[in-house]
Amino acid sequence: MISDEVKKKIRAVVGKENALDSDLDRFGYSYDSSFLALLPASLPDMVVRPLTTEEVSAIMVIANEHEIPVTARGAASGRTGGSVPLKGGICLSLDRMKRIIELDERNMMVTAEAGVRTIDLYNHCAAKGLFFPPDPASWKMSTIGGNVAENAGGMRAVKYGVTGDYVMGLEVVMADGTVLTTGGKAIKNVTGYDLSSLFVGSEGTLGIVTQALFKLIPMPKKRGTIQVMFRALDDGCATINAMLQENVVPAAAEIMDKTSLDAVARLRKMDLAPDIEACVVIEIDGEDQADLDSQTKRIKAVAEKCGALSFRVAKTEAESEELWAIRRTMSSAVSALAPNRIGEDISVPRSEFPEVVRRIRKISEKHKLTIAVFGHAGDGNLHPSVLCDLKDPESAERAHHAVDDIFDAALAVGGTLSGEHGIGITKQPYIVKAIGESGVKVSKALKQAFDPKGILNPGKIW
Amino acid sequence: MDRHIEEWQQQLVKCVRCGTCRAVCPVFKITDNENTTARGKVKLIEAVTDGKLELTREMQKRLDKCLLCEACSVGCPAGVKTDELFMSARRALADNNGISYIKKIIYTGMTYRSLFNLALRLGSVFQSLLFRDAPDKKGRFSRIPLPAAGLNKRRLFPALAKMPLASLVPKVNKVSNPRARVAFFPGCMMNYVYTDSGRAVIDILLANDVEVVIPDNLYCCGIMVAASGDYGTARHLAERNVAALSSDNYDAIITGCASCGATLKHKYGLVIDDPAVRQKWEKISEKVFDFTQYLTAKGYSREFADTGVKITYHDPCHLVRGMKVSKEPRAVLKSIPGVELAEMKDANKCCGCGGTFSATHYDISRAINEEKIDNVEKTGAEVLLTGCSGCRMHLSDGLSRRGSKMTVMHTAEFIAKAYAAKKEQGRLNQ
Ligand SMILES: Cc1cc2nc3c(=O)[nH]c(=O)nc-3n(C[C@H](O)[C@H](O)[C@H](O)COP(=O)(O)OP(=O)(O)OC[C@H]3O[C@@H](n4cnc5c(N)ncnc54)[C@H](O)[C@@H]3O)c2cc1C
Ligand code: SF4
Ligand code: SF4
Repeated sequence: MISDEVKKKIRAVVGKENALDSDLDRFGYSYDSSFLALLPASLPDMVVRPLTTEEVSAIMVIANEHEIPVTARGAASGRTGGSVPLKGGICLSLDRMKRIIELDERNMMVTAEAGVRTIDLYNHCAAKGLFFPPDPASWKMSTIGGNVAENAGGMRAVKYGVTGDYVMGLEVVMADGTVLTTGGKAIKNVTGYDLSSLFVGSEGTLGIVTQALFKLIPMPKKRGTIQVMFRALDDGCATINAMLQENVVPAAAEIMDKTSLDAVARLRKMDLAPDIEACVVIEIDGEDQADLDSQTKRIKAVAEKCGALSFRVAKTEAESEELWAIRRTMSSAVSALAPNRIGEDISVPRSEFPEVVRRIRKISEKHKLTIAVFGHAGDGNLHPSVLCDLKDPESAERAHHAVDDIFDAALAVGGTLSGEHGIGITKQPYIVKAIGESGVKVSKALKQAFDPKGILNPGKIW
Repeated sequence: MDRHIEEWQQQLVKCVRCGTCRAVCPVFKITDNENTTARGKVKLIEAVTDGKLELTREMQKRLDKCLLCEACSVGCPAGVKTDELFMSARRALADNNGISYIKKIIYTGMTYRSLFNLALRLGSVFQSLLFRDAPDKKGRFSRIPLPAAGLNKRRLFPALAKMPLASLVPKVNKVSNPRARVAFFPGCMMNYVYTDSGRAVIDILLANDVEVVIPDNLYCCGIMVAASGDYGTARHLAERNVAALSSDNYDAIITGCASCGATLKHKYGLVIDDPAVRQKWEKISEKVFDFTQYLTAKGYSREFADTGVKITYHDPCHLVRGMKVSKEPRAVLKSIPGVELAEMKDANKCCGCGGTFSATHYDISRAINEEKIDNVEKTGAEVLLTGCSGCRMHLSDGLSRRGSKMTVMHTAEFIAKAYAAKKEQGRLNQ
C-alpha cells in the first residue's frame, strides 16, 4: 500500500497522467509473457511512467525513504515473470523513455534510453550502415532496458554474441536514487570493477537502467538465408557442428523439430513433406555475393554429407523473410497447440545438443506430454516447450515434473537453466542447483550492498 | 452475457501474452500505455470472464480506445481474433452501460433512411452556419466547436454534398453491350459527402461495359454502430441491406468504400442472428468486391490517358486487412501510363481515423495521422490516393492543417479521370 501522501509526492514528480492507480490501469501492469497465472493478479499499487533519469531518481528517493517495492518494466515480454510486481508497490514503466540520444558514427557507438525498442535501435543504426547485433525474437516489442536486464540474445548469438557483449556503459539509478554512470567509450577500460557487467542480467534487482551505451560493428554487406530439411534432428545438429568445425560460422543457425514445424505449418497453412523431422534455418553474411556463394557451397557439402533431404537458398529478400518468419513465429505457434505452453530456455555445450534432445524425448514419453523443441542450435541454447493445461491439476503436475527433469537433463550434460530468459519467478526453485549455495551467497551479498532495503524487484531470482 | 463469455473464451485462451501486438498498435505508439494495447484489452476481458472485473463504464472507455484497425489481429502469432473480440466486448458493454448520447442520435437517424437523407441534406444547407470554408476550399473548418461530438474547432470537415449520389444518378446505368450487371453499394460517405467518388466508381464500371444498378432501399452499412456495440441497430441495418441486395440476382456487388466492403463481406457474420437472413447474406458475401478487385479479377480496359503524375497510395485498414485488397489498386494505378507510384513508408498502417474514434479521441487520432502525413510528404508525390472516404477525410484534415498543396483523391476518381481524359482526347482528335 502506498499512502495518499506518498502518492501525491509521486504525482508531483511525473504528473498526474503518469501515475496511475485505478484498478483497471494497474491490471495491465500485473503480467508479463511468462506462463504465470493471470489471476489472482499481482497488482502494483501504482504505475509510474517517468520520462527522464531525473524523474526516475526522484521516484527512487521517495520509494527508498518509504520502503516501497519498485519493479522496473520494459515491454513485459519477459518469459520468467521478471517485471511482475510480486510485492505490489511501484511498477516503474519505462515505455516513455524512448529517445535515442546519440549515434556516434566515428566511435561506432550508440546511446539510448531504456525504453527504446530493440528494433528501433537496430533500424536507427542500420540507416548509417552500423550493426547492433543482439536480436531476441521479441525484438519488435522488447526494450533495450529489458534486454540489458535479461542479457537477451537471439539467433545471431552464435557469431555475434548477446546484449552484454555490446554494453560499453550504463546509466543506472540506484535504489537510493543515486545516478551512477558506468563504463564509457574507451574500448579498453580496467579502471576498477567492471560495474556495467554487474547490471547485465540483473533483472532489475540491482538498479534501474535508464540509458545504455552500446558498441556497434559495421553492417555486413550481404546476407543470405538457407533452409535445410532433415529426416532426423541429429542430422541437423551434426550439420551445424560440422560447419563450425570447418570454420564456416553462420550468423545464425536455428533448428526446429517436427512438433514445432507442424505447429507453424498449421498456423501458416504450409505443406510439409511427411518424412521431414527437422528443419535448420541458417543465416550467412559476408562481404559480397562471391563470399556468400562460397559459404553456401561449403554448407551444402556438409549438409549433404549429413543426409539433408532438401537445401533451399532464398533468392529474394522476401523469400528470406518468409523463411525467418517461420522461426520468429515459432514460440507463439507452438503455444497455440495447447492451453498452456511452458517454454523453457536451457543452454548446453553445443556438442551436447543432440544428447539433451534425446533426453527430452524420453522425458516427453515418461510424462506423456508433447514437448516441442526448437532453438539456437548454433550456440547450444534450446527451447523445449512443454504443452499442457495448467488449469487441469493433473496435467499441471506432470508438466512441472517434466520441467524438473528437463533442468536435470541440462545440468547433467554440463548445461544451465537459462540461456536468455533469466530466472525471474518461474525458475527460482532451481537456482541453487544451477549456481550452488556459494553462487547464491555471493549474489545475495551483492544485492545487499546495492539495495540494502531490498526494494528493487523483491521476490525475484532466489 | 453467458453467450458472450463462451464466445470470448475461444479467443482468450489463445492469447499467450507475447506482446507482439504492442509493436503494431498505433494507439499504443502514441499513448505508451499497456492498457491501450491489444494484449491489455484482451487481459481486461479475460478478467471479466473470470469475474474479477466488471463491464463498467471505465472498462468501456478502455475498450473504446481502439481504432479497430486490425493490425493486432492480423499480426497476432497465436491467431487471436482481437477485432471480433473487441467488438463483441463493446457490445456487452453497450448492453450494460448504453452508448454515448450523441452517438445514439446519429445512429437512430441512420436507421430511418429518409430522415437521414433529409438531415444530411439540411446539414449541407446549414453547415455553412457551423463551418467556415478552409482557405484552400478543400473542406471546412468547424466554426462552432461541438465538444459533445468531439468536434474540434481546428478540424477540417468535408463539405456535405447538396444532393445525395443516389438522387444524382439513374437507378440503372446501362451500357450497350453489358459484360455483367452489378449492384453498386455507395455507402454513406459516397452517397452524402464524396458523391464525386461514387460517380467515379460508376463511370469506371461503365467504361468497362458493366451495367450498374444502385438498388433501392440501401442503408448505412452499419459498421459504426456495430463498432460502438449497438448490435441491435447494426442488425437492423444489416437485415435491410441484405434484403435490398438480394432482391435481384446481381453478378457482383461492388463497393468503393473499404469499410462498407469489409462490413458487407465479413462483419455481417458477427451481427446477423436469423438463420434465414444469414443464408441470404452468405450468398451476397461471396459477391462483394472492391471495385479495383473486380477490375483486376475480370480484366479491364486500358484506355487511359497518359497522366504523367507522381502518386502515392495509402492502404485503408478495412481494405488491406478487412478485404485483403492491396495489390489490386496498385496494379490498376500502375497500368495507367505516366503514373509513377512512390510507395510511402508503412503504407498499410492506420491513418488514425478509425470511424468515430477520430471524433471521440481526436488528439490521439491526430497524432497518429501526423506520422502518416510525414510519410506521405516524404514521397514527394503530387497526389495522395486511398480507397476509403474516412481515410480520405482524415488525411485531408492532416494535410490541410499543414497547408500542404498535395491533392487527396479517392482511387476511383483518379482512375475515372484517366479514362475520361482519354475519351476527351479521342474526341478532340476526331
Ligand atoms: C515471443 C517472445 C520471444 C522471445 N525471444 C527471446 C529471445 O530470442 N531471446 C531472449 O533473450 N529473450 C527472448 N524473449 C524474452 C524477452 O523478450 C527478453 O527477456 C527481453 O529482453 C525482455 O525485455 P522487456 O523490455 O520486455 O523487459 P520486461 O519483460 O519488461 O522485463 C524483464 C526484466 O528486466 C527488468 N527490467 C526491464 N527494464 C529494466 C530497466 N530499464 N532497468 C532495470 N531492469 C529492467 C524487469 O524488472 C524484469 O525483471 C522472448 C519473449 C517473447 C514474448
Ligand atoms: S499478439 Fe496475440 S497472443 Fe500476443 S499478446 Fe497480442 S493478442 Fe495475445
Ligand atoms: S485494433 Fe488497432 S488500435 Fe485496436 S488494439 Fe489492435 S492495433 Fe491497437
